[in-house]
Amino acid sequence: MSKINKNILRGALLVSYVLIIALVIYAFGAIYSYLNTGADRSKMLHTEVKQIDQYLPEITWQPLTNEGRPMDAQTLTAIENDYLDGWFVRHVAYKTNTTIGIGDYYTESARQNLFNIIALNSENKTTVIGTTLEHHPTLEFFSEDGQLAVLTDNDVVEYKRLFKDNQLITEITEKSSYKITLLLEDGFWRVRHMVKIKSEPYTAQVTQPVSTTTINGINYYPQATPWAMFGDHFDADIIASDFELIQSTGLNSIRLFVPYEDFGKSDIDQNKLDQLITILDLAESANLKVMVTLFDFYGDYSVLNWTLTQRHAKTIIQALKDHKALAVWDIKNEPNLDFESRGTSLVTAWLAHMIDFVKAQDPNHAVTIGWSNAESATLLKDKLDLVSFHYYEDLEALDATFETLKSNITDKPIVITEYGMSSYHGFWNPFGNSEEGQAEYHKTIQSIFSEHDIQFMSWTLYDFGKIPKEVVGRLPWRQNAQKHFGFIDENGIRKPSFLFIANKKPSAQQH
Amino acid sequence: MSFKNLYISLISLLLLTSTVVFNTRNSDSTYTLLTIKSESIAGESISLKFAFTGDSEVLLYGSNSYGSILLEPEVNDKELIFILPEVMSNKSGVFNWKLQTTSHPISGHITIQPKSEIKAIESYLGPPSIEAGGTDYTMLVVIPTDDLDNPLADSTSVTIKHQFLTNAYASDVSTEHGFAFKNINSETKKGRILISSECLDLNSKEFDVNVLPAIPTDFKIASERIHNYADGNQITTFKTSLIKDRYDNTVSDGTFVTFFITNKAGYKSKTSGTTINGIARAKLLHPDFEDQWNIKAYVEGMANSNTIVLNYKQAISDFEVAFSEDNRTVTLGPIQSFMSQRVPDGLTVKLSIFKDGMLIHQLIKDTFNGMAEFYLDNDRYPKGVYDVELKTAGIVKSYKSINL
Repeated sequence: MSKINKNILRGALLVSYVLIIALVIYAFGAIYSYLNTGADRSKMLHTEVKQIDQYLPEITWQPLTNEGRPMDAQTLTAIENDYLDGWFVRHVAYKTNTTIGIGDYYTESARQNLFNIIALNSENKTTVIGTTLEHHPTLEFFSEDGQLAVLTDNDVVEYKRLFKDNQLITEITEKSSYKITLLLEDGFWRVRHMVKIKSEPYTAQVTQPVSTTTINGINYYPQATPWAMFGDHFDADIIASDFELIQSTGLNSIRLFVPYEDFGKSDIDQNKLDQLITILDLAESANLKVMVTLFDFYGDYSVLNWTLTQRHAKTIIQALKDHKALAVWDIKNEPNLDFESRGTSLVTAWLAHMIDFVKAQDPNHAVTIGWSNAESATLLKDKLDLVSFHYYEDLEALDATFETLKSNITDKPIVITEYGMSSYHGFWNPFGNSEEGQAEYHKTIQSIFSEHDIQFMSWTLYDFGKIPKEVVGRLPWRQNAQKHFGFIDENGIRKPSFLFIANKKPSAQQH
Repeated sequence: MSFKNLYISLISLLLLTSTVVFNTRNSDSTYTLLTIKSESIAGESISLKFAFTGDSEVLLYGSNSYGSILLEPEVNDKELIFILPEVMSNKSGVFNWKLQTTSHPISGHITIQPKSEIKAIESYLGPPSIEAGGTDYTMLVVIPTDDLDNPLADSTSVTIKHQFLTNAYASDVSTEHGFAFKNINSETKKGRILISSECLDLNSKEFDVNVLPAIPTDFKIASERIHNYADGNQITTFKTSLIKDRYDNTVSDGTFVTFFITNKAGYKSKTSGTTINGIARAKLLHPDFEDQWNIKAYVEGMANSNTIVLNYKQAISDFEVAFSEDNRTVTLGPIQSFMSQRVPDGLTVKLSIFKDGMLIHQLIKDTFNGMAEFYLDNDRYPKGVYDVELKTAGIVKSYKSINL
């Protein structure tokens, strides 16, 4: 008995000894690694300066004809940066009713004006969430010693949302002109005086609607890389052969998606943009037209973010707007799904603004929004050239839905830019549709399309092996359903539905 | 299907009722603007009056140069009165407003003029120093403001005054974009310009700008030395003439002058000095052997002098050398200078030692009391036959085949 006790005692002693030694070693290790933190030589010199784009309104300087000292490009850039930062801190200040950052961009007397308004607004529980979208400054004067600049900022397009007690009271879009005196203090160009000289409500110029050719098409992702076709996985050969296949079925167009964050937000990844251009080149050689859907997976909409989305759209549009394969700009896929989480008015306001912006950048191509249902499709219809919606509901209701929509939208073409049926039936959905059911669905819908002369784009060419969680979430019954919307299955075998991919009967034989 | 119809009817009912509610709230409410004033002066109180029927709970959006607000009305019988807070009515510029009714929004704007009385003149003057000659100038920028810190209206007259030497000047300029400016050119004389401005009987304080002399023109140089012997001990001083710019202003103190000296062998030395009252001085030690110096001075990139020539006579004609018995101690001197006086301490003596025609070492010593002594160590120079050469003050003496 005592022997066992002794052994237990020995064991315990041994274990505690090992434990103490381990703790001591750990403590030394921790102290050593603590003393070594911050010793990274690359960080010592602060050589890496990360600048994040926060605010990028469109700014166009008038040609320099200023009085005083001739202006140089470097100083003008410094003035532009600080002046726009001044607007940015002002927007942030009115949004939060705090004064952070104001001191850097407004002189001591000028900042008082902002403080007074902030005090008044916070007392009245008013918040103003605003941004400026366009600036057209003219440099009037630059002093001989380079310390004072005067500019007239013409036609500043301002968008504001005013809240009282967190209730949206109004949205204002106005176009104002300002006279601004800036002083160079402590290395900052600070606003000394700001006088609004003109202000009027702003409405974007109404443009003539752009017509498009009849769209009979399909939403396209390569089979191996759905929702991830750009970047390292980009494969032009696969895309080219897919386009040939699509073209051979009698379809004339495809719908593509440009993911907002993946493309680099305001700072577009040139490599991915080049890949997008390559896809359009391939589409052109396959004689297909392309509907480019911008802002895929964008969901922020916050007003201070608008200028960044503007820059994103501008870069893409400028790169593609003269491309022969381009047919339609789809502003965003199913934005109405964000109404609940982001607020209908905010999302609609962003869409309305983005339509105007896209049209201003490229007046020659039609603009649409891919609404997720027919009910939303009347929104912003006057601004769009093409009304498009997605239809995944019961086919029996399609006639009625389409006719109702048509009676509301008489002067614009209507396109169903997504429809389709999953042929998944298995563990997660034992009562799902078979491939024959899917074929029946496509046969029926094609006959409805023919009957009502409806333009269409189906979802989608292929069954997919893996669906990113951002698309339909992680739930297996959703994931699995989404995997089987294709006309061609995972093994490359054409499903029965392939016969009904277009109006024209394509060959059922494999190539 | 029946569910669907039920939903449709429910939704349409909801829509219908909301439209009805919508209508009752607004069709009864009418608002008419009573104030017709579209101009105001900063600091005056501004109120907007509306006659109304129906709903009195409306807000007014207002925005001026610096920001936006929402205003609640004071309801007075059948009038809505919006009194602008001072933060809005005190600042010049356009104040635009919009009455937040859902049906027929009324909007408008009031142009708020700055006061016509002045409170302050903000002056910005620069650069603070300019060059004489009439082409360089300084600029005065003036921003006159009222007591609410609004820049005064454009076309306000500002008098800009300046005084230089015996003259005083005044000129009128008008404000544009909220400021006025004037370039003030220098004259041909150096000095200080005093500048001030006046606007609506308010005078600014005094500012000054230094007018510095323009760049120097060519000048002459001279030298001073107490004798012309190359004794390696005395100092020659170089001196410029009074350096002036082309307008006859003495150049600024501290103008940097470099003297370049080229000797007979073509070697160059330089020495430099800065001007005080237009004259720069620089010094250099005499050579210790007979030589001729050519000296030219430069204010680099701007002006230069004539070239002067200085001759230095040989001060030491000869020296004596004595070897000790074992030849390991070599003694020079006493070395005598031009009056047969012993040379001042510090004259450099160089001993070169050759073995089989190859230089193996050089020893350098300074004289002390006119003498110099070298010891050729046994360890450094083992027994053998050496050649020894001694050199000082440009005189060389050679001793062949010395047995050590």
